[in-house]
Amino acid sequence: MPFSGPYPILPSAGSVLSGRPGPTVPESGVWRSLAIDLLGRPPLAAERAAWGGRARAEVTAELLGRVDFWQNWLEEQLYYFLLIDNFRPETEGVTDLPADLAGQKVGVVEALHRICLSSSFDRRNPGPDTFVSVVMEQLLGLTVQKLPRELEIGKRLYDGASGKFLGQAGSSQADVVHLAIQDPRCLRHFLAREYERLVRRAIEPKGLEAQARRLQAEPRAYPAIVQEWLASPAYEERLGRRLPLTNRLFVRTLFVDLQGRLPEFEEGQRLRSALDGLADSRPLRALVARLMLDSGQVPVPERAAIPDPGAWLSESFERLLGRSITAAESAEFQAAFADPACRPATVLYAIVSHPEYQTW
Amino acid sequence: MSRLDRRNLLTGAALGAAALALPARALAPFGRKTKRMLVVSFSGGIRTRETFGTPANVPNLMRLASEGVSFPRTRASNLGHFGATLSIFTGISEARGIRDNARGTDPTLFEYLRKDLGWSAGDVWISTSGGAQESNVSYSLHPEYGAAFGASSLDGDGIFNAEFKGVLDAYGRPREMPPEELALLERMRGAIGGADRERVEEAETAARVERFLLDELKRGTQDLNGIGAADAKALKVARNLLAVFRPRFLSVVLRDADVAHASFNNYVQVIRRNDEMLGQLLDSLRRDRELAETTSILVVPEFGRDADLNSRRGLDHGDGSDDFRYVTMVCAGPDFRRGEVVNEEVRTIDVCSTVCELLGAEARYARGARLPKLYA
Repeated sequence: MPFSGPYPILPSAGSVLSGRPGPTVPESGVWRSLAIDLLGRPPLAAERAAWGGRARAEVTAELLGRVDFWQNWLEEQLYYFLLIDNFRPETEGVTDLPADLAGQKVGVVEALHRICLSSSFDRRNPGPDTFVSVVMEQLLGLTVQKLPRELEIGKRLYDGASGKFLGQAGSSQADVVHLAIQDPRCLRHFLAREYERLVRRAIEPKGLEAQARRLQAEPRAYPAIVQEWLASPAYEERLGRRLPLTNRLFVRTLFVDLQGRLPEFEEGQRLRSALDGLADSRPLRALVARLMLDSGQVPVPERAAIPDPGAWLSESFERLLGRSITAAESAEFQAAFADPACRPATVLYAIVSHPEYQTW
Repeated sequence: MSRLDRRNLLTGAALGAAALALPARALAPFGRKTKRMLVVSFSGGIRTRETFGTPANVPNLMRLASEGVSFPRTRASNLGHFGATLSIFTGISEARGIRDNARGTDPTLFEYLRKDLGWSAGDVWISTSGGAQESNVSYSLHPEYGAAFGASSLDGDGIFNAEFKGVLDAYGRPREMPPEELALLERMRGAIGGADRERVEEAETAARVERFLLDELKRGTQDLNGIGAADAKALKVARNLLAVFRPRFLSVVLRDADVAHASFNNYVQVIRRNDEMLGQLLDSLRRDRELAETTSILVVPEFGRDADLNSRRGLDHGDGSDDFRYVTMVCAGPDFRRGEVVNEEVRTIDVCSTVCELLGAEARYARGARLPKLYA
């Protein structure tokens, strides 16, 4: 079953803070993790070349100011609200968000507000019971079953009646969203889930309160807060722990690694939704990788163009797995590659269809 | 207990008899004929009024009921579609977010069966129609169970949409890999990460699934469309899984009936289509003598819908009425009574304990009871 096996716990890559690669996680591995965390994909070849030797804080700050960071952030939020496939918002208020966020025209709370006011959110959560429940659960992190009275009041607002929902007066479906967004629990819940997504552990309550107050006072401060998270010892620990890629990240990662490009939007969405349909998506992930490699669309070098198989294997491991090849792996792979039946594509397929490739 | 007819079912639905609290524990299924089980979560919110209250909508479900035992007073939990469906498989009513895209913490039926009975991933399947969220039903995060004991899952609408087939067509079919190249591939895969190799059995299952997916795409499952297409695909996938893998436990989770929020007519259309596809699945099962003689079937919605139409002439769910809180469960199989209606109150969470007991596993953490008056 999926990811049931243990994954290598790699040593901390803290030395990269000073620009020096760690002993096991090479610098390229840190960039790979950082790029997948912030951009939802590994670095492109040009980025790998440009980031080499630079301090992580500098590269992080650069990434956090880019539109594609916010595009990835928006995709993560839409997936969180399950506004995917037919429920994906197409209105400008939502599609313009990456540019508006990068240009600091809006902050993350306003972005959440726009998402939840979209017609897609309404269609995804039809009827008063579902709509109000989802607002309470997903925006505020509440357990609705423990707050039946609040739910009933929210449902009345949804239907146009007046009432005090979350302690504030309202009288419409839009007010249900508006009042939830204004509630202090909204910021706390947002920061807690974002921290867990990026740092892979629960945020300390004390830090959460302080950061929520900061974001309340400075609505555009989210990138600065993320920068602090990524410079923290907790993130150093996260770099040493590999976790499974989500299906969306797997698809984007595979495209970048094999084709040097991101999938077209529709292309990526279809593949992701197909992979989402399996509890263990490994067979389908392997199938997709194999189809891609066999399609002729992947620039795989000819065997004759690989004069030094050891160096090529080493580079492939760093690029695709974000770590150095071990001596044992190198010996096995070189022995296999020496057999004429083994093509360069076979080597790449062995790596990208292995469970470790499906982690970062 | 009474014989099955529409009047009895509706009368039963109006009764409020107390639940019969049989203890949930595993017993050795000595002498039982049931060796396999099909559980259909007829979900999306379906009232008895549109099923057993309108037999013309569900001739196949009516036939199944005539061959088994019906429980028209099956109490459901108001936990949202995901939470209520999950509770059928965990035997525990616990609040889950409606859009909670995460696994539960309570072990599922699949995990009990696989762990207690030593079944492989290829023995236990779930076919869903609801996409990302529903694949979370396949296993829990419980420390004693979890992924290693989960069901193999396929989501009909996710995998078998025409667009995905288009993507595959764009790449063409994969080339046949010669045996010597395949051996080298396995050698290299096995070398990555040292000695942590996947279990052979799981690797074999994964390879079979890969082949099944390719074959299913050729069978045209992706060409099903229209209202209720996702459910139809889930039922068709289940039918083919039955033929290819002959699983010991197969579950289907439907969802499309939730179109009821916006259209009562579409809701009825989904029920009719699902009944037709269910009929095809059951016919396929009945045609296989070995499967027919050893398979028990259970069909249950996760909850009903409101008593009255909403302003959009649709049906929401959550009014607390009996139409919403009570559904009709049907069980049929070689060990069960035939054509009976049990009017005692039971619960949707009783499914987990009942199935485990029937197959010889123990639902240790489930809080449901065994269904009463089920066995012949």
